[in-house]
Amino acid sequence: MSHDSAARAGLDDPDANMVVRFDHVGLRYDLGPEVFRDIGFALPKGSFHFLTGGSGAGKSSVLGLCYLALRPTRGTIRLFGHDVTQLPRQVLPRLRRRMGVVFQDFRLIDHLSALDNVALPLRVAGAPETDIRRHVPELLAWVGLADHLDAKPPTLSGGQKQRVAIARAVINRPDLLLADEPTGNVDDRIAMRLLHLFEELNKMGTTVLIATHNEQLVQRFPYERLHLQAGRLTRHRGGGGASERAGVRPATDAPATPPRQP
Amino acid sequence: MRTLPLGRDRTAVLVPMLVGVMVFLAVLAAAGALALGNVLEDWSRDVSGSLTAQVPPVPGLGEAARMATDERVAQAAAVLRAQPGVASVRVLSEDELMALVEPWIGAGELVRDLPLPRLLDITLEPGAAARTNPGPMADVLRDAVPGATLDEHRLWLGRLMDLGEALGALGLAVVLVVSGATAVAVVHATRADLAAYRPVIEVLHMIGAQDGYIARQFAINALFQGLKGGLGGFMLALPTLAGVGLLADRVEAGLVPRISLSVVDWAILAALPLGAASLAMLTARVTVLRTLARMP
Repeated sequence: MSHDSAARAGLDDPDANMVVRFDHVGLRYDLGPEVFRDIGFALPKGSFHFLTGGSGAGKSSVLGLCYLALRPTRGTIRLFGHDVTQLPRQVLPRLRRRMGVVFQDFRLIDHLSALDNVALPLRVAGAPETDIRRHVPELLAWVGLADHLDAKPPTLSGGQKQRVAIARAVINRPDLLLADEPTGNVDDRIAMRLLHLFEELNKMGTTVLIATHNEQLVQRFPYERLHLQAGRLTRHRGGGGASERAGVRPATDAPATPPRQP
Repeated sequence: MRTLPLGRDRTAVLVPMLVGVMVFLAVLAAAGALALGNVLEDWSRDVSGSLTAQVPPVPGLGEAARMATDERVAQAAAVLRAQPGVASVRVLSEDELMALVEPWIGAGELVRDLPLPRLLDITLEPGAAARTNPGPMADVLRDAVPGATLDEHRLWLGRLMDLGEALGALGLAVVLVVSGATAVAVVHATRADLAAYRPVIEVLHMIGAQDGYIARQFAINALFQGLKGGLGGFMLALPTLAGVGLLADRVEAGLVPRISLSVVDWAILAALPLGAASLAMLTARVTVLRTLARMP
């Protein structure tokens, strides 16, 4: 099912419930060709979407625009109701703190322990150290890393790093979770477990957007899919998924529900 | 909590070393300028309050010539006393003159017969020294007593003081150049750190760190590196200063005035390493903020 976002977005009727909204967004890097020239979509509060497309289709660019690493060369992007092209640079950190981002390459800080890496978003936001000492180990235990609190990222396996990266993305209880190929480096079993984690967050109200090229994985879930191809974005109904999801459980060495975060 | 591993690589050695060398040079230059300033002040206090007049003797050996000379001296003294700004005029006696020349030509009757010029010591009124212009005074004196001259200490002293002031300005210039060099070194070290930790900075940026949070870590790091180097340079400069002071004391035969620094001077010198550290901190902060401002 194709979808015309411009008509739905209705510029005269800004919908405050939309966490992310792209209207006629175009992007080019320097003087290169446009990665895409007119894409539009909206993510309602509490929604769960996959973002698919071949390699080089622009999935990472869409996410980069969402987490404000990139600025659109045309069109408007609204985040939490704010037109980001109009916002001064100084207020962007406040918007970024409402998001959790799982980078494709994790981007953990190698000289900091797993605990300090996960604590980072709380620290830059000025959270009290007592809260950090209480909540961070709890979350790391929940993703199955209770025994690796003091481990530095270079000593962790790919799957473990991925879970540290995810813990860092969710420690702030973000309103918007953006994940770029979060299952790229792990086998299907761990991929399913991580996606279940995102589902749990989503159930608590977080809007989720996951970029992936793993079509099989997407088919197992009932969530709507945004597909990027040749600079155009189309919407597709989600896969069946329910039967497969039944077998998925959170990390076995952790409690079944995520701990409450500040 | 420091999230950037600053101060652990080669810039951690480079910046304190550079700041140390700079502070060492700055302390020496500033100490020289301050000591020179004190000397100049002493000199101008000593000398600007007085002038000396010379009256040539009337040729001849007889009592008549001596009387004529005395008369000229009395006339010169009267003219000088009438000048504005002059507090008193004292005529040096013949005995005093003899005492002055004795070290060079000895004493004795023969010396008394030499046609020595007579000297008048003129004391200016306090505060009048700056106002008094010796030029017109010399003219008046010459008109009244042929051949009489006004010996103006201030002419040669003025030139000496010009030189001294130029050297003092040079010291200040060294301090300024050294400050500039310190700032440039810190800018480069900070840029190197920024480049080295770019990925970490990007992560901090992406998770919502304000620019100030990142800049603060660089600024604190630069402050400590600056303090380390600055205090080191200051400590090295102290024995050097003491050594120069010792050498100057040894030739203290009136040729070289006693070199001394006041408490205020020492406070200024001690402020140099602190100033260097503050400069390093501010430079790092500005550099980081400018770089971050270019990030999206």
